Amino acid sequence: MSRRLFLILGFGLGVAGGLYYAWLVSPVEYVDTAPESLRADFRADYLALIASAYAGDEDLVRARIRLALFPDLDPTTDLAALAQQRLAAGFADTEASALAQLASALSRGPSRTLVPTPSVSPTPSNTPRPTPTRRPTATPGAAFLLASRQKICDPLLSQPLIQVVVMDAAQEPVPGREISVVWNTGQDHFFTGLKPELGLGYGDFAMTEAVSYTLQLADSQQPVRILPRMNAKQRERTRTWAHGCWSLNSLPSPLS
Amino acid sequence: MRNKLPSLILGFIIGAVIAILFGWLVRPVEYIDTSPDSLRIDFRTDYALMVAESYAEDQDLTLAQVRLAALGPLPVDEYVTQAINYALEQSFGRPDLERLNVLAIALRTLPPPGGIGPP
Repeated sequence: MSRRLFLILGFGLGVAGGLYYAWLVSPVEYVDTAPESLRADFRADYLALIASAYAGDEDLVRARIRLALFPDLDPTTDLAALAQQRLAAGFADTEASALAQLASALSRGPSRTLVPTPSVSPTPSNTPRPTPTRRPTATPGAAFLLASRQKICDPLLSQPLIQVVVMDAAQEPVPGREISVVWNTGQDHFFTGLKPELGLGYGDFAMTEAVSYTLQLADSQQPVRILPRMNAKQRERTRTWAHGCWSLNSLPSPLS
Repeated sequence: MRNKLPSLILGFIIGAVIAILFGWLVRPVEYIDTSPDSLRIDFRTDYALMVAESYAEDQDLTLAQVRLAALGPLPVDEYVTQAINYALEQSFGRPDLERLNVLAIALRTLPPPGGIGPP
């Protein structure tokens, strides 16, 4: 055989040997990875954990730094979508609520300017953390009063919707509020803030025609009854806000 | 045959070098679809800290255990201990250390996972 043939044979053996070593003898081990590389389900868990941690410390700066580890993430939209997905998948309500709250907080705050710094710990060290500025919310124990309701005819809607906008005493939208819906054959719940593009305090529920529903905000005592007197493609809008004290007696019920 | 051996060795070396360069430069390994147990130590620490922050809010120790179990097969309190050690090395703030410590204490109060008992 010619010398060139041996060269080619050696080349082939070299490639084969190199790949054998790289794939079998010393295969790649995934160590020291960043959250960005997580599998989709772990990534969702990680994002939910960021939201849960935010619910614990209300440190929006820290939450932003953590979210910046995912460069392709659109926090406001993606977190709201994730909240809906996890709610539908049967995860804890608190998680969906936390995600909605974080999405809303992010959409309220300044635009994203932080970039990930892979070589630096994502957690601030001993630098004093800024005291979180708490948004005006209802005082603990206070609840919500029904402020108004109206029917809106929208021919673009394929089915009737119950739309709720929750506002606090400062008339700021309140995300992450759970609203229970009960009807004669079942019950469900939804949260405000899952569709931030429609408002941080907005939540909706697809209703069936000719079925009456009773809505109630979590931790409140005033049910709101939606009667089946609307036509298809009409939707019921209920607006509530906090007044410091939840009292059915203090207001005439506009629904009765 | 003996005078062909250098060609064989030369070809082998060239092939191996090209294969390695291909693997490192042309198509390097992309880290995708990894799991939390492969996270770098600072991210693992932050993960444990997030669990601790969440636990401080909801006091749900079971949920904290489930979340920490994603970090690997060790007992979950071990990951919190590792996080505390790293946090001490990196001079994390006192509130963070306290949260981690609270979680570690809560996890240590749990009974060890039981094995299969005698019949």
